[in-house]
Amino acid sequence: MLADIAAVIAPIFVCAGIGMAWIWSGKAFNTEMVTEISFNLGIPCIIFSTLTRLTVSTEAFAEMAVIYAIATLGFLTLGAIVLKLAGLPLTTFLPGQGFCNNGNMGLPLSLFAFGEQGLAYAISTFVISSIGSFTVGMGIYSGRPSWGLVWRNPIIYGLLLTLVFMLSGTKPPQWLSNTTQILGGVAIPMMLISLGVAMARLKIAGFGRALFLSVLRIGGGFAIGLAIAEIAGLHGAARGVLLMQSAMPVAVNNYLLAQRFNRNPSEVAGTVVVSTALSFATLPLLLYFVLG
Amino acid sequence: MEVIGDLMAVVTPVFICVAIGLLWGKLNKPFDTDIITSLVYTVGAPCLIIATFAKVKISSAALAELALAGLLCYAAFAVIGALVLKAARLEIADYLPSLMFPLTGSMGLPVCLFALGEPGLALALVYFMLGTLGTFTVGAAIAAGRVSLKEIARTPAVYAVFVAVYMVVAEVQTPQWIVNTTALLGGTVIPMQLIALGRSLMALRFAGVGRSTALGLLRLAMGVAVGWGVAAGLGLTGAARAVVILQSAMPVAVSSYLFAQLYGRKPEEVAGMVLISTAVSFLTLPLLLYFVLHAG
Repeated sequence: MLADIAAVIAPIFVCAGIGMAWIWSGKAFNTEMVTEISFNLGIPCIIFSTLTRLTVSTEAFAEMAVIYAIATLGFLTLGAIVLKLAGLPLTTFLPGQGFCNNGNMGLPLSLFAFGEQGLAYAISTFVISSIGSFTVGMGIYSGRPSWGLVWRNPIIYGLLLTLVFMLSGTKPPQWLSNTTQILGGVAIPMMLISLGVAMARLKIAGFGRALFLSVLRIGGGFAIGLAIAEIAGLHGAARGVLLMQSAMPVAVNNYLLAQRFNRNPSEVAGTVVVSTALSFATLPLLLYFVLG
Repeated sequence: MEVIGDLMAVVTPVFICVAIGLLWGKLNKPFDTDIITSLVYTVGAPCLIIATFAKVKISSAALAELALAGLLCYAAFAVIGALVLKAARLEIADYLPSLMFPLTGSMGLPVCLFALGEPGLALALVYFMLGTLGTFTVGAAIAAGRVSLKEIARTPAVYAVFVAVYMVVAEVQTPQWIVNTTALLGGTVIPMQLIALGRSLMALRFAGVGRSTALGLLRLAMGVAVGWGVAAGLGLTGAARAVVILQSAMPVAVSSYLFAQLYGRKPEEVAGMVLISTAVSFLTLPLLLYFVLHAG
């Protein structure tokens, strides 16, 4: 069991650790470049390459997307209630409660815990959370809904091309599978290294508040995920992936958006760093629960 | 038709990734070659070596056989290259490293992976590791007149070579957490190297087209001939034979250009050799693959 948990967590710790060590050793790191590469190339390719290998059916993939959309609504509702009660500004903290690290942390966790099938389910939740973050999340930060940006998200194009093959039941030609497979291999390690870089670089504020919100994100998320898994009768990889993705820390993207719309970015950075650090402690327990 | 599909599956990923690198430069998107090179060489390459040898079970005998074939190829490149340069009255220190050490990493590894699967990648890595060691020792000795031991000691891939050899010889069962971690990080090597290749091809300034063309073509022709000869001489078959021929026939390595720049050894002409031999190999690679894989 311990070896199983280590096999899932070690890649995340080591990759994020490399990112942190990179910054601490004073080496140059170009986050903009790494983000462009993983966002524009790596992620669309990993989506295409994973899903066209057909480890889950289109129905199961869509079902997971709907379930995770419901879960996200649950996170946002719980977050809104607690933030209101605590007298904290929703425009600063609510998106972080709804949109968590389903990409750089959730994808490798699901892959190593449940194999390619787990990765396919995790991609389903990641698509929802990425689209949600750029529409609803950005809408909350900016104060007005922003649907237009959906079409600027390369994930959409990766997904659309994938759906053409999934729905028509055709296998992509080998050259396309090979190309997307190697380019997709860039996404996860690059995202994890950038996560480490962000952890080492972010200037945080409001530790106590950040800790409270981190517990809410991870604990509240887990509770909602568990409830939905029970109601939907999920089992196996689908259940495991939903639980893990629901209990992820606050996504780094929230910090970038908070900075852009000037919503106390250093406080949001605090929730990112503290929840990520907390998740390093909760991950082994979470995996023990999910794999056991 | 099926053969064409097979060949496409091998060469297209290489072309597309290089093209992305070119396009990335054209679009002026951020690209920091130093950071990518540093990530690939200090983190990615050692991980790829360890991950591949953890997944692919290859015998010590197969490893030794390929290492011997690789050494013979590099020795033959050195002798033939030196003779031709002498005959043409060209400075050996300027051109020999570029003729000796082909692009076995960014181009050779993906070609062998897609043509022959993971066992092919493992064998291709053996050839590549010899080249990396050779570049820092023999290559540096020729270009600079001294061996850069300090560079060798600072190259993590060198340590990974020893770990990999130990893993093969002692038949180590690698723990899953190491396999997962190194596989994840090693996965960045091939695509990032290819994109960086495209990016650097665009940035190269070259001179002396005539001489660069002749030497670039010499690299490719000599590569095929030596690879074929060594494989036949040692009686290699299957994946080992294909890897030796393919790796030997790779174009002039971009690292040769960086080397030439570092030691002031006519970098513009070496850049011309890199560009011309890479462009020509894009045309000859499908043919070579066809002959190696399909025509006995």
